Amino acid sequence: MKHHYWEAPIVIYLFLGGLGGGIFFLASVFDLIVAPGAGPLFFAPVFFALAALALGCFFLVFELGQPPVFWRVFTTKTAIIKWGAVLLTVAMICGFVWWASYLPLLGWQWAAGLAGLLAPVRSLMIGLAGVAGFGIMVYTGVMLSTLKAHAFWATPALPVLFTVSALSTACAAIALSLGGAVDAAGLGLLVEELIREIVHEVDIVLVIAEIVVLLVMVLSFYGAGNVTAQKVAARWVRGRTAPLFWGGMVGGGLLLPLALYLAGAGTAASEVVAPILVLCGGLLLRYLCVYSDERAPIPGEERYYERLKSSDTRFMTAWKQGENKY
Amino acid sequence: MTRYVMVVDQSRCIGCQSCTVACRTWNDLPLDIIYNPVVSEGTKGTFPEVYRTWTPTQCMHCANPECVPCCPTGASQQDDDGTVWVDYAKCMGCKVCVNACPYGMRDVSHVVPRFDQYVRKCTFCRDRRAADPAAEPYCVATCHQRARVFGDIDDPNSEVSKLINTTHTERLFTELGTDPQIYYIPEMGGGAR
Amino acid sequence: MGNEIDIHAPGVEMRKSLCYFCHANCGVLAYVKDGEVIKIEGDPNYANQGGLCCRGNSALLHLNHPARINHALKRVGEKGEGKWEKIPYDQAIAEVAERLNQIKAESGAEAVATAGGTTRTDDWARRRFMNQFGSPNGFHNALLCWIPTFMAETCVAGWSPFETDLGKAKVVMLWGMNPGASSLGAMRGYTDLQKAGMKIIVVDPRFSETASKADLWLPLRPGSDSALALAMLRTIIWEGLYDFAFVRDWCQDFDALREHVRDYTPEWAAPLTWLTPDQIRTAARMYATNTPGCIQWGCTWDQLGTASTTTSLTLALMRAVCGNLDVPGGDGMPGPALNFLTDEEMEANECLPEEQKAKQIGSDKFKLTSWPGYTLISDNARRTWGKTLPAEWFCEAHGPSVFKAIITGDPYPVRALIVNATNPVNSYGDAKMTLEALKRCEFLVTVEYWMTPTALLSDYVFPAAGALERPTIVTHYGATDSFLGGKRAIQPLYDRHTDMVFWRKLGLACGQPEKMWPWETEEEAYYHILEPLGLPIGCYEDFVDNFRMYYPPLHQNKFVANGGFWTPSGKVECDSTILRELGYPGMPTYMGCSENEVDDPEVAERYPIVLTTGGGFMPYHHSEHFQMPAIRYLYPDPYYTLNPELAEKLGIAEGDWCWIETRRGRIKMRANVSPEIHPRVVYVPRGWWFPERDGSADLSNPFGCLESNTNVLTSVDVEDCDPMGGSWANRGLLCRVYRCTELDHEYKAADAQWSIPGSAAEPGVTVMPSDQKMARPHAPFEAPACEEAPEGFYRVWQNGQLYQEGTHFRLDESGWLVNPRTKGYHDAYTGWRYDPDSELLVDDETGTCYTMDREEVVFRGGVRCYPGPAAPYEVPEQLTWNAEGGFAQLADRPYVYDPASGWLVDPETGAYHDAYYGWLYDGATGNLVDEATGARYDMEYNPIVAEEAAAAQAGAASDEEGA
Repeated sequence: MKHHYWEAPIVIYLFLGGLGGGIFFLASVFDLIVAPGAGPLFFAPVFFALAALALGCFFLVFELGQPPVFWRVFTTKTAIIKWGAVLLTVAMICGFVWWASYLPLLGWQWAAGLAGLLAPVRSLMIGLAGVAGFGIMVYTGVMLSTLKAHAFWATPALPVLFTVSALSTACAAIALSLGGAVDAAGLGLLVEELIREIVHEVDIVLVIAEIVVLLVMVLSFYGAGNVTAQKVAARWVRGRTAPLFWGGMVGGGLLLPLALYLAGAGTAASEVVAPILVLCGGLLLRYLCVYSDERAPIPGEERYYERLKSSDTRFMTAWKQGENKY
Repeated sequence: MTRYVMVVDQSRCIGCQSCTVACRTWNDLPLDIIYNPVVSEGTKGTFPEVYRTWTPTQCMHCANPECVPCCPTGASQQDDDGTVWVDYAKCMGCKVCVNACPYGMRDVSHVVPRFDQYVRKCTFCRDRRAADPAAEPYCVATCHQRARVFGDIDDPNSEVSKLINTTHTERLFTELGTDPQIYYIPEMGGGAR
Repeated sequence: MGNEIDIHAPGVEMRKSLCYFCHANCGVLAYVKDGEVIKIEGDPNYANQGGLCCRGNSALLHLNHPARINHALKRVGEKGEGKWEKIPYDQAIAEVAERLNQIKAESGAEAVATAGGTTRTDDWARRRFMNQFGSPNGFHNALLCWIPTFMAETCVAGWSPFETDLGKAKVVMLWGMNPGASSLGAMRGYTDLQKAGMKIIVVDPRFSETASKADLWLPLRPGSDSALALAMLRTIIWEGLYDFAFVRDWCQDFDALREHVRDYTPEWAAPLTWLTPDQIRTAARMYATNTPGCIQWGCTWDQLGTASTTTSLTLALMRAVCGNLDVPGGDGMPGPALNFLTDEEMEANECLPEEQKAKQIGSDKFKLTSWPGYTLISDNARRTWGKTLPAEWFCEAHGPSVFKAIITGDPYPVRALIVNATNPVNSYGDAKMTLEALKRCEFLVTVEYWMTPTALLSDYVFPAAGALERPTIVTHYGATDSFLGGKRAIQPLYDRHTDMVFWRKLGLACGQPEKMWPWETEEEAYYHILEPLGLPIGCYEDFVDNFRMYYPPLHQNKFVANGGFWTPSGKVECDSTILRELGYPGMPTYMGCSENEVDDPEVAERYPIVLTTGGGFMPYHHSEHFQMPAIRYLYPDPYYTLNPELAEKLGIAEGDWCWIETRRGRIKMRANVSPEIHPRVVYVPRGWWFPERDGSADLSNPFGCLESNTNVLTSVDVEDCDPMGGSWANRGLLCRVYRCTELDHEYKAADAQWSIPGSAAEPGVTVMPSDQKMARPHAPFEAPACEEAPEGFYRVWQNGQLYQEGTHFRLDESGWLVNPRTKGYHDAYTGWRYDPDSELLVDDETGTCYTMDREEVVFRGGVRCYPGPAAPYEVPEQLTWNAEGGFAQLADRPYVYDPASGWLVDPETGAYHDAYYGWLYDGATGNLVDEATGARYDMEYNPIVAEEAAAAQAGAASDEEGA
């Protein structure tokens, strides 16, 4: 059967999109609600979010067959991908404006004028970016789950899973980068610690939630999915993908960081290793899901495509059109 | 209204793949693009009590296609006569429609230049019909066995209407709600007709 | 939208062409713009009803393929090195001709042979060249394809009953034939008719595409066809299912046949065929009780090796006794083309001297399909039909024996081989020996589309024009009376030429007279062939545009009108006299196929699996089309088929590469595990080679032509060949199968080791071909004594009749000769034809007429003259009798009086003049004109005044314009 139309760049795009969206969302929540005025602390996380989205978009566009036609996504009305593109654009523009307004933090006095100009719209910008970021997190899952040809994707659990995972990776990224580029002192330090603590606690909840959603989704497919979904789930649970799933995803990406979060609170294991593991787990999740794009085959379809050759086979390249050998 | 459909008579198909090659040559397709594979699970049963069915496939030109609304650029579209097709110039090659199709009937080629990869699919030979409204899709015209019949289901006198109304036909994956418009007359085996 | 091409655009011309990739020759419409074919599609108004298969649809890929040979190539490196110089076509022709003439001078013309494959050529041209050159050693794959069957059937009933009249048939038996993968247009017909009630019986070891649609499928042991056929014939005869009236009226020696087949019971056949007696009886009853019915010829009959012609002879008798010969709904016997020229008339067989015919390789053994059998059959056909079957295909050297002669010099050295439209390594038996012969051939010339292994080993390679580049006619090897034609879409590209042009140019360069090659193009030659039809056409293209096909008025039951079948005895010969005369049994006598577990138990012990090879499969045809990526993509690797039960026993999984080995060698293919075949049988498709490889890299296996080539497994040993027709062994051989292991995965040089006879264990020549025994020795035959024939005549012992030598006209009891074609009478002394209308004798060569006393008859202006004093008819009084000229005339005018019409005829112009005044009759106005004065008169001799005359003339002129 023909599948795997989407490959690594899409995996990375979905991961980075969720990550960036999650950071924007959390940054806006903290900046506007939890700890107003904590904005400068999020200067580095938002930078990483912008970078993640930019890189994600690069992979997305790179993966396109005809990239110059990309602008057309803004001309249609209803397609999911169109909304993804709009959300990405809004998040990136607003996030960038917010971020640019803090440029003087880097000691770049030439940016002070610009920052002054942008400062009044900071709240609006981070607010919009946060909303858009939330949309992106949900969107990465929704896009896959609307493709009902693929039994393993076509479940409401997938957007939930992706959203939880996106938030979780965002927490991890914030944990790693919070306060970067800012010499916090006094109250600022306290706020930073407070935010770290909240992010830490939230990520524990998220990781647990992710484990629950993931296991519910995979195991319910394994137990009660249709033939195709069951096959995929079986591959995850006890087949070819099982080591990656149990060892990499569940073990390395969720349980181990959870344990480190819980047991090693305050140590480097909790503050550095665990978030990195969470990030890796998030990437692995996208990888496993994107490559689980089996369709229900038309009877005989698999046999048909198994007998075809890959495109680098000798007879496909032996003769070049237009060249006359004899 | 005109609504084009195809009836595929599996009791006539002998799996010669002529339609596949005909389509490839008529549409000058890249090597790795097959619009209409003729698939089969091979021979089943225990010798000598065996049977075999071929399923000529192609885009189902669904009444409720998955691949059109998901298109973010408007390249993937459907004519009033039901023909689902891709405007190559508008396609950015995101492959969401390829993933959306439950029948695996769309793809981009990997043997064409890297940034010239748009989504291709069967168009019921839109080009042939544009030039000559009476023309059949080439896979239909070229089928020696007349296993493929093409026509307007809204015309009660068309061959497809008569076949669909008088014969037991089946369609693929109707449970997905796509309302596919390729109707199969199943193979009953040997002299069981 | 992308790359569409508009076939309706201005300047696009549609040309009616024919496909040229298999024998079905489907109609193709080629759309041509500025000398370039832009699209093709099937012709909806031709027999294929618009259908085209994978092959047909690939015509444009074929035409423009980058690996096509476009120029004459002369070898400049070592043989097989792949170094070529492109030279002008005519220069290559001249160089080849010089070399051929030199070889002829040194070793005789028979040292030059030519090999063909299947019809991609106009083979009368090849034969025309060879006959004039003087060599009898032309050959094709004819012996694997129809020819032995045709000859056996002709021995039984006087022509092959191959044109099935399915429309009225109630049953069709497809025996060893899979139209579902080989002739799709026919398959459609079967399917349509089956849905309308016709029964289909398929005899095939494999659950083929066709078998899957059958009403009754007989999965016999491959190669056991002769046992099955005999048991069915026995059932039909002994259960009384045959057509009593037909047998009584039209069959000779039927009682002998009944006794002969007594022991061939279904119970006897069951263990040989692996079928149950009930299955055999069911099939026999289904065929015999559903009359009329057809048996469609299938290639298998000619590929069984030893049992080939026995099988086709049995089937010929089966259709005969069931009354299915030449009847509506039965097997039609077209006979030769009586209304246009047959291929035989284009072959110039009279140019080949008798002593050269005698040198034809293989004709001492396999007589039915070479000069000895052909002469008997052909002379009989001339006596009965008045025309005969072509010598090309039907009378050829034994191909494998020629290859052996190249290696061994036995019976004499063959030094040059011209290969046209075949790649013998893949299409002839024992590929390893054949490859060696091609390597050893002193002078090898190939006419090809592609750089095949054979072309690679050649000294000269000529580019061949193919489909779309040549006009095509269909006359079924020149053996039928219908004619279908297509135009070329474009002139050949590059320096490509058609085969007829090749042979013509080569003939002229070898010194053959220009007048023997009057046609420069196919179109001219085809027009010459068609001219006798008398159609209103001025050239061949007119025929295609306006007629496209010619069918004689469908005459079935011709044997009734003819008063007999076209055999020497005039009956269906159940004990064929021609076969007996050749030293073969006249009735089918069981022979097992070349290798089988009953006759060769010790072989079966080492090679326990039965192998069947040679079945055609889409999308390829023989060894063609492997170059076309668009097709190859769909079927990239060779797959053989084995049953899951066998696969499990041998530890083979779907897709595994496996070795398949017979006594002669081994090949590798991938496993297609499928229950479509018996657990003790494997099915190995034919043709595989790998043109994408570098041919020169490994000359022991150039282009991988041995590696997956089923013909490495087949046998051409004399004892494995059919003793009558010479077919070699492709079906029902014994083999073993095992998985390729890591250590034994590559094809090695040792696997390419050749031998004569075929044996992987004993390389080289161990037994000379002429020392090999035949499967069944010839039995001496002596014709019963009969009265001697007068000089110039000969007597046919079967019917006691006298025939004139040369013309083969029968000498009637009345003393007249009877022309079998026209049924007209000819004078026994002069050969002049009796014309019943004029009651004169006509010498058709000069057109001169004679009286019954053989005195020349003079005509003036088409009026017969009677020199002498008395007029034999009443002369009108105003005329005078010219005694010297023998006609009546008006005064001294030179016009001749025609007593039939009463007019005078001007012998110079043929114009009519009135018999009273000699006035000219003006057809345009209906007036009489006095030429001396210009005055005009009506038919009552009333003068016509000037204005009226002018008006009449003007009216006539405008009429003409209007017309």
